[in-house]
Amino acid sequence: MLVNDLKMHFPVTKGLLRRQIGSVKAVDGVSFAVKRGKTLGIVGESGSGKSTIGNCLLSRLPITGGDIMFEGVNMRNIPAGSMRKMRKTLQMITQDPFASLDPRFTIRKCISEGIEIHNTISGKQAIDEKVSEMLNTVGLRPEFADRFPHEFSGGQRQRISIARALALQPSFIVCDEVVSALDVSIQAQIVSLLMKLQQEIGLTYVFIGHDLSVVRFISHEVAVMYLGKIMEITSSDELYDHPLHPYTQALISAAPIPNPDVDRARERILLKGEIPSPMNPPKGCNFCTRCPHADNRCREEEPVFADVGNHHFVACHKVTGR
Amino acid sequence: MSDVILDIRHLRTSFFQNGTEVRAVDDMSYQVRQGECVAIIGESGSGKSVSAMSIFRLIPYPPGIIRGGEILFKGHDLMKLSYEEMEKIRGSEISMIFQEPSTALNPVIPIGKQIVENILLHSSMSKQEAWQRAELLLAKLDIPNPAARLKEYPHQFSGGMQQRAMIAMAMSCQPSLLIADEPTTALDVTVQAQVLEQLNELRQEYGTALIIITHNLGIVARYADSVKIVYGGKIVEEGSVRDIFNHPHHPYTIGLINAVPRLDLPRSHGLRTIEGEPPDMSKIAPDSCAFKQRCRYATEECGSRRPPLTEVGEGHSCACFHMNQAQEGAKEVVM
Repeated sequence: MLVNDLKMHFPVTKGLLRRQIGSVKAVDGVSFAVKRGKTLGIVGESGSGKSTIGNCLLSRLPITGGDIMFEGVNMRNIPAGSMRKMRKTLQMITQDPFASLDPRFTIRKCISEGIEIHNTISGKQAIDEKVSEMLNTVGLRPEFADRFPHEFSGGQRQRISIARALALQPSFIVCDEVVSALDVSIQAQIVSLLMKLQQEIGLTYVFIGHDLSVVRFISHEVAVMYLGKIMEITSSDELYDHPLHPYTQALISAAPIPNPDVDRARERILLKGEIPSPMNPPKGCNFCTRCPHADNRCREEEPVFADVGNHHFVACHKVTGR
Repeated sequence: MSDVILDIRHLRTSFFQNGTEVRAVDDMSYQVRQGECVAIIGESGSGKSVSAMSIFRLIPYPPGIIRGGEILFKGHDLMKLSYEEMEKIRGSEISMIFQEPSTALNPVIPIGKQIVENILLHSSMSKQEAWQRAELLLAKLDIPNPAARLKEYPHQFSGGMQQRAMIAMAMSCQPSLLIADEPTTALDVTVQAQVLEQLNELRQEYGTALIIITHNLGIVARYADSVKIVYGGKIVEEGSVRDIFNHPHHPYTIGLINAVPRLDLPRSHGLRTIEGEPPDMSKIAPDSCAFKQRCRYATEECGSRRPPLTEVGEGHSCACFHMNQAQEGAKEVVM
C-alpha cells in the first residue's frame, strides 16, 4: 500500500446555517508505504490523527486530498461495487472489544456475519467449520461458538475480534490500539498472536498505538505522528538507536524502561506544555511550540519531510544527516 | 528515613456477591516508611486498588467489608477511629489521587475553590492565605498563570492540567502519605512524564510517602523504592525495586517482566507471555496458590496449601514453593 500526501480535514460549522468557520486538519499531508507482509507502526499522542489515518486507509472516511494506492489500485476512484469486494481484503480490529462485538450475537454469528454478507462460503456446515477453524487459529476452543460476548474477558474478546477479521481471509489489517485496554500479561499474548499470524499467513498490518515500546516491538517500520503530520519514519531498531526528530527523542525519553538500572541512568527530556489544537496548528513546524531546539526559522517555515539516508525520513530543520 | 508511618497487618477485605464471599484482599501485610515510594503492581481485579481504598476506609458497604486486620498509621489503628476522626485524617494526613481526574473533580465548582476548601477544612489558615497557598501549588506544578486558572472550572482544564489540580489538592495540606491509584493511565505519554516528575519533586520537598498503584512496570522502575507484586488479593513477592527487577523469584513476577516489550533492547529480544487469564477472584480456593492455573511449575502441593511469604534476601520475600526452579527457568529467558 502506498499513501501519498493524504489529507483528511473535518469541517467545523457554527450556527443554524452550519456555516463553516474552520477545519480540523486531523491528517495533513501524510505519505508512507506499507510493504506486503510487514507491519508499519503509527505512534502518536491523542489528537495526532493516527486513528483517522486508519479509517482513511479502509475508505471509511471520504478523504480530503491525496491518494491511497492498494495493490496498484487507487482507492479514490473505485466504484461502490468494487469497494465492497475490496473490503474483504481490508479489515480492522479496534481498541474496545466490549464495544465492537454485538452483545446479542453469539460468537458464531459475530464471526460468520462477514462470510454471509460476502458469500465467500455457502452452506451452514461449511460456515460452522470455518468458525471453528478461526477460533482455533486465535487460540480459543471451538465450543465457545455458541456463547455470547459477555461471557468472555477482554483478552478473549480481542481474540474473537481477530477471528472475525480473519474470517474473510484479508491480506491487510489495521489494528487500532488493539492492546491498550488489556492487562500487561494479556497484551503480550495478543501481540504474539498477531505476529504469529503474520508469519503464517503473510498478513500486512498497520499497527496504531500510543505505547512506543509495544508499537516498536510489533512493527518493522515506525511512523511518529504529531498534530496530523508524520515527523519521522524509520525501521524500528533505528528508531531507538538513532532517533533524529526532537519529538521522537522526547517520546522515547518519556517512556520509562522497565528496569531501574537502565531507566535511572538515562538522560531525560521533559517537554513543556501539551499538544496544540489541530484546529489551529502553529505556523511553521507543528512541533515548534514545544520543541527545545526551536528557533525563528522553525516558527516561520515548515520543514520538508526528507530522506536522510538508510530509509530514514525526518521532517525537521535541525536534522541534516544521520 | 526508616520510621514506619503505615503498618498494615493481615488486612482482609471481602465483597459479597450473591451470597458468596470474594476475597479481594486476603491477608495482606506491608509497611510504608516516611518519604518512601512504594509501588503496588497487579493486573485488573488483583485487589491492588481495594487494598488502598481500605487504608482510606472507603470500601462501599454493602457489598464490601473489611473483615479483619490492622491499619496502623503513625501508631494509631485507623480501623478503630470513628467516622469523624477518619474525616480529619483524609485529605490532611493521608490523601489520594484517582485515575480519572475528570470524574474526581466537581464540575460546577471552580478548581481554586475546591483546593481551598480542603485547606480551610484542615488548617487554621485564613481564606486569603489558603488562596495564596493554592496559587503557589499550581505554580510549583508548572501551570502557567495560576491565579487566573484557579478561577476556572474543571472542563476548562485539559486532562493533564486536571490531574495537576488533583495533585495540588491532595498535597495542599502536606500529607505524610499520598495514595495514587493509576494516576497517569488516562494521560498521554509526554504529559504522563511531566506530571509524574512534578508529583515526585513535590512529594520529595514535603517528605510525603507515596503508595503508587499501577500496572506500568516502567513507572515503577523509574520512581519506586520498594515494590509489592499482588496477585489474587495476596502479595506474592516484595522487595526493593532493584531486587524485584534484577532478581525476581516468583514465576508471576518473572513472567510479568518478560511480557513487557523493552524499548532499549533490539526487537529480536522477544517476548515471553504468561498463558491464561487473570483469575476469577470468586473461584480461588483459600488454601491454594492463586497463580497455580497459569504457572509452569505448579504441582499438587500448590493446590492444597498456600505458599507462605518467605524471606529470600534482605527485605526481599517471595511466596512460592518452586521459586528455585522458576529462577533457573528465568535464566534461559534473559538472552
